[in-house]
Amino acid sequence: MKAKWIGLSLVAGLMVLGGCSGGAKEGDTASTGSPDTGNSSKKITVAMLPKKKGVPYFTSCSEGAQQAAKELNVELIYDGPTSGDPAEAAKMIDQWIAQGVDVIAVSPNDPAVLGPAMKRARDAGIKVITWDADAAPDTREFLVNQATPEEIGNSLVDAMAKDLGGDKAAGEVAIVTAALTAANQNEWIKFMKTRLEKYPGLKLVGVKPSNEDQKLAFSVSQDMMKAYPNLKGIFAISSVAFPGAAEAIKQAGKTDKVFVTGLSTPNDMRSYVNEGVVKSVILWNTKDLGYLTICAARALADGDLKSGATTLKAGRLGEKKVVGDNVMLGGTITFTKENIGDFDF
Amino acid sequence: MKAFLRSREAVLILLLIALLLMAWLMEPRFVTIRSQMLLASHLWELAIVAIPMLLIIMIGGIDLSIGAMVALCGVVLGLLFERGISPFIGALVAIAAGGFLGMSNGWFIAKLRVHPLIVTLATMAAFRGIAEGISLARPISGYPDTFQTLSQGKMVGIPYPVFVFALIVLSAWFVLAKARFGRWIVAIGTEENVARFSGIPVARVKMILYTLCGAICGIAAVLLVARNNTAKADLGMGLELEAITAVVLGGASIDGGKGKVLGVALGLILIHETRQFVSWHWKQNELNLIVLGALLIVTLLVERVLSQTRAFKMPTTA
Repeated sequence: MKAKWIGLSLVAGLMVLGGCSGGAKEGDTASTGSPDTGNSSKKITVAMLPKKKGVPYFTSCSEGAQQAAKELNVELIYDGPTSGDPAEAAKMIDQWIAQGVDVIAVSPNDPAVLGPAMKRARDAGIKVITWDADAAPDTREFLVNQATPEEIGNSLVDAMAKDLGGDKAAGEVAIVTAALTAANQNEWIKFMKTRLEKYPGLKLVGVKPSNEDQKLAFSVSQDMMKAYPNLKGIFAISSVAFPGAAEAIKQAGKTDKVFVTGLSTPNDMRSYVNEGVVKSVILWNTKDLGYLTICAARALADGDLKSGATTLKAGRLGEKKVVGDNVMLGGTITFTKENIGDFDF
Repeated sequence: MKAFLRSREAVLILLLIALLLMAWLMEPRFVTIRSQMLLASHLWELAIVAIPMLLIIMIGGIDLSIGAMVALCGVVLGLLFERGISPFIGALVAIAAGGFLGMSNGWFIAKLRVHPLIVTLATMAAFRGIAEGISLARPISGYPDTFQTLSQGKMVGIPYPVFVFALIVLSAWFVLAKARFGRWIVAIGTEENVARFSGIPVARVKMILYTLCGAICGIAAVLLVARNNTAKADLGMGLELEAITAVVLGGASIDGGKGKVLGVALGLILIHETRQFVSWHWKQNELNLIVLGALLIVTLLVERVLSQTRAFKMPTTA
């Protein structure tokens, strides 16, 4: 009797399994079977790898990617390690190579770990691009670049100046960066310094590292407010430094006396923005980044995007510039108390 | 023959054939040599640490610290390389360090007679913590290509790690099937006190096995670092659970005394193929996490059904 029950439950289990597979298969054939009316005739498969799956930032990128995939007759595989483990990501790239996808778009969490797998993909004739973050040039053909350092530097300084009274903005400002050796941040700082010349009233009094440590960013910001009593603004230019600096201002009770701006996602800074500690959060448009990545993948597979290209037609985004091997998204968005409610990532 | 059909190995082979058949129907490309070669490249570190885990489980022990030992050995290799020491020498030091870590596990277990679950639970946290501390949790990368060939290079079309695995498997099989040491392992696992009174050097056997396990974790760490081109303190995270699952799936008794190398090898292949197929077909990496548990349950159910039908038939034929 007992054996029968076990047998039955096993059969039931197998049927569930079979049901799952049947369902998935139907889905597959349905999607391949519907010819797209767009001008991209042949369906291609693009595998898109985020640094970490399930993070709101990347989920929002994937929404844009999904939209482009629909428009461009692309079957999109959006998958990545939920742990963010780059070794796991390398495993997934190998699987995509075996599956024979057409394009792999990688946001490398660790270019050193992913490099060999990306090279294997290229050796197997698969097109490889990076998006969001770059890897060694010989491991990919193009980078879909979210924003130029100049745009980011300008947006940061302009946002701060706006908070401090526009063109006549005046006061001491300081920068809390990631590590002093961080390449991205140093590029931004370079352009921030240039942009600061436009506002003669603003005086940069220091650049301090926070080494990707929120507690250090907090104490560095505190120290600077003490050392420079007339400090009016802090640029906290890493996603870790930003909340640290905001917390320091909040706890010092200097809201509306010291302003802070930086780069982060709306979700990470939402409470500070709603409380009024932070007036503006700068970031690029993540949905557009995902959208453009798929456009670039499609164009690369079709042969429309080759080295030497200077522009890329990118659907609803219009024509985008290609500089060297970088496809430029361009443009930043500023989240403020007024619009932050519209963004959930 | 009849006995074999009722064994765990037969169940695993049955499941494997069913899986590959299903895979072949649903995703023909999955069941090609090229795909299988590509997918297999990430299996070997788990495969080689599963074998010492089998021997340890067979004496009624357990080693939860293997993932942490892999991390610490990898970080040792990385830090030496960072100081300008050849990664090949670093690799030897890492393997020696692994042996030392395993030996310290063995010392607590064999000499102080602390339960292995508690000892290795503690060292699992401690080794991982040390790895994070001495590396400041940074990734250390940039190894020369010659070092990376350790895991990516091939001889007659077969990647080097496969040879390492084959060597470890064959030695383990030989020891269990032919050597006196193998009989000791079974005796200790079956009834430790009886083994002790019959003159088997129980403590020494334990020391040797845990030390060996550590050294093999060192080898796995070297292969992992060479393949990922990075040493980092989160290396081998969760490896212990995967290894234990493979061993138990392979038919070893968690109480000790029973286990087969062939079973573990089949268990490994089944875990690997199931995982790869599931993420291949459903394209959701997180499904990997439930595969381990589901596999174990399905295997136990199938075995239960097979043995129950036999038990059910017996009275009618008798």
